[in-house]
Amino acid sequence: MVDINKLVDTKSSTQSKEVFWDQEVYDREIKNIFGRSWLFLTHECMLEKKGDFITTKMAEDSVIVTRHTDGSLKAFVNSCTHRGNSICTADSGNTKSFVCNYHGWVFSTDGKLVDVPLREKCYHDELDRDSLSLKTIRVESYRGFVFGCFDETAPSLEDFLGDWGWYLDTWMVGAGEGAELVGPPMKSILKCNWKVPTENFVGDGYHVGWTHASALHVLGGELGGLAGNQAEMPFDELGIQVTTRHGHGFGVIDNAAIAIHAKRDEYAKYMEETIPKVAENLGEPRAKLFNGHWNCSTFPNCSFLYGTNIFKVWHPRGPHEIEVWSWVIVHKDMSDEGKREVVKQAARSFGTAGTLESDDGDNMVQSTQVNRGSYTREGAMNSTMGQGYEGEHPDYPGIVGSSFIGETSYRGFYRFYQEMMSADSWDDIRANDEHWADCFPNKNYWKDRIAAKAAEAEGE
Amino acid sequence: MHNTEAKERVSSELHYELSQHYYQEATLLQNGEFNTWIETFVAKDLHYWMPVTERRYSKDKRPEPTPYDMAIYNDDYDEVKDRVARLLTGAVWMEDPRSTVRYLITNIEAFHTDKDDEFVVRSNFVVYRHRGQLEHSEHVGCRQDLIRKVGNGFQLVRRKVSLDARVTEDKNLYIFF
Repeated sequence: MVDINKLVDTKSSTQSKEVFWDQEVYDREIKNIFGRSWLFLTHECMLEKKGDFITTKMAEDSVIVTRHTDGSLKAFVNSCTHRGNSICTADSGNTKSFVCNYHGWVFSTDGKLVDVPLREKCYHDELDRDSLSLKTIRVESYRGFVFGCFDETAPSLEDFLGDWGWYLDTWMVGAGEGAELVGPPMKSILKCNWKVPTENFVGDGYHVGWTHASALHVLGGELGGLAGNQAEMPFDELGIQVTTRHGHGFGVIDNAAIAIHAKRDEYAKYMEETIPKVAENLGEPRAKLFNGHWNCSTFPNCSFLYGTNIFKVWHPRGPHEIEVWSWVIVHKDMSDEGKREVVKQAARSFGTAGTLESDDGDNMVQSTQVNRGSYTREGAMNSTMGQGYEGEHPDYPGIVGSSFIGETSYRGFYRFYQEMMSADSWDDIRANDEHWADCFPNKNYWKDRIAAKAAEAEGE
Repeated sequence: MHNTEAKERVSSELHYELSQHYYQEATLLQNGEFNTWIETFVAKDLHYWMPVTERRYSKDKRPEPTPYDMAIYNDDYDEVKDRVARLLTGAVWMEDPRSTVRYLITNIEAFHTDKDDEFVVRSNFVVYRHRGQLEHSEHVGCRQDLIRKVGNGFQLVRRKVSLDARVTEDKNLYIFF
């Protein structure tokens, strides 16, 4: 029997290998994590006109998201209230209503049952249509990015993002126009646990130089120096890592936003023009982030690379498989030519045939499948890199680690994972709001480090 | 970019030559001779394209994807050459030990175009990939090519790869189709 309350040890920064394998753990995740968190659905730019719809997934549940006739966003479970058939099989489109293929029940774009065939003759006008609406899902959007939540007691999307929203604004607001997503998404199956890619994107600067050595060699440029994880690189000075209250986190490589893009004339011009505007709009700390390359995960299963601009959701399909969906982020105020360049380059590096993404597949799958062996999956996985070299920062909210190569964001992700897995409700989680960062005990890390730097600069 | 009109079918002699070219191409790719492929079988003005095609209702009037839209491959010659170069760095861990890839190329139909030395060629494919001990995948689809006669052989000028599956059941599509 797996002890759900002991999957993660936040003191020793280790996690049981069962988190990648065990069915009972997975079942609890579906209930406690995917049933309670805000999950990414789509971007509003894909639902501009009344009647526009997309189909997507929230974990293993199929859902429809629409722009209803009153202009509001609606989301509901893609399953007929008669005999349960899926009512929509297209990826996207525009419609007045959804008609179930089985017996022809008709639902409007807000999920209400508006008509059934032979209502008078065979239901004798006795069917209570009002009680047979599709199951609705809470839907909220942040800067145009649309999320859904099954839990009525969950905080608002904005509160769920918390400090992470402050970071997201760096590019979701940016110079003012913000960003949108380009689809249709690429989709593929990967036989791994959903947490392996999520943790990889949230906090794994370490693997880049080794796993992606081949692509970095061919690419050269700013990140070419990372190939092989050369010891002489001043990693502590090249960026930071951040984790937040609800598990969202990221790592930043300074001045490297566009480094993965081999062809980037338009993008480089855009960044040069836009960084001063971001500084004016949001201040210097975020202008610096705007020019950095970010690897990120929004808890639980949405990841992206800001700069490279790939945006992914890892839909779980049982403990040992996921469906990966990939879009591209573009700044709304970019030229059309610039947007096309970004879409092409992002797909080229991190799409289904990505020159970098293709390197990662084996790592994801093997870290999962190796746990088929019962002796193999006894014991724990380690994420102690840089433990103690992290704390509260004067400029950046959350807990900030000293280098983009470290495991600060792993620690923050699994800290919140354990909190959700063992909590009975959102009230339990809220009760911990003041103390969530207690497992990062080096409270003076940044104060001391900044003072030491200042003293050093004075001495010179 | 991919609208070159197919005119009448080529002669059986030309059809034979083109078929042989396709089989040779498959042999090079199966044997990992990617440099020979890119240098001799591919034209410098290449466009290599694999669009992402959504599942849409038949009443949906939106246009088909163009090379300006999301695509899994949307490469010029140098970009495909860089993909080849990556495979030959010796640092692609998942290709050591090497995986095996097998191409079944069928339904080759070849047509003349407005230009004497260029042909539209359509073909179906099944690509099987095996890796490690038990890992295997298959990819089914069709290709629409523009092929140019160069000396005694042919070079690929444009290739549109259409996959039949909406969701790729494989780790990646880092395979030259």
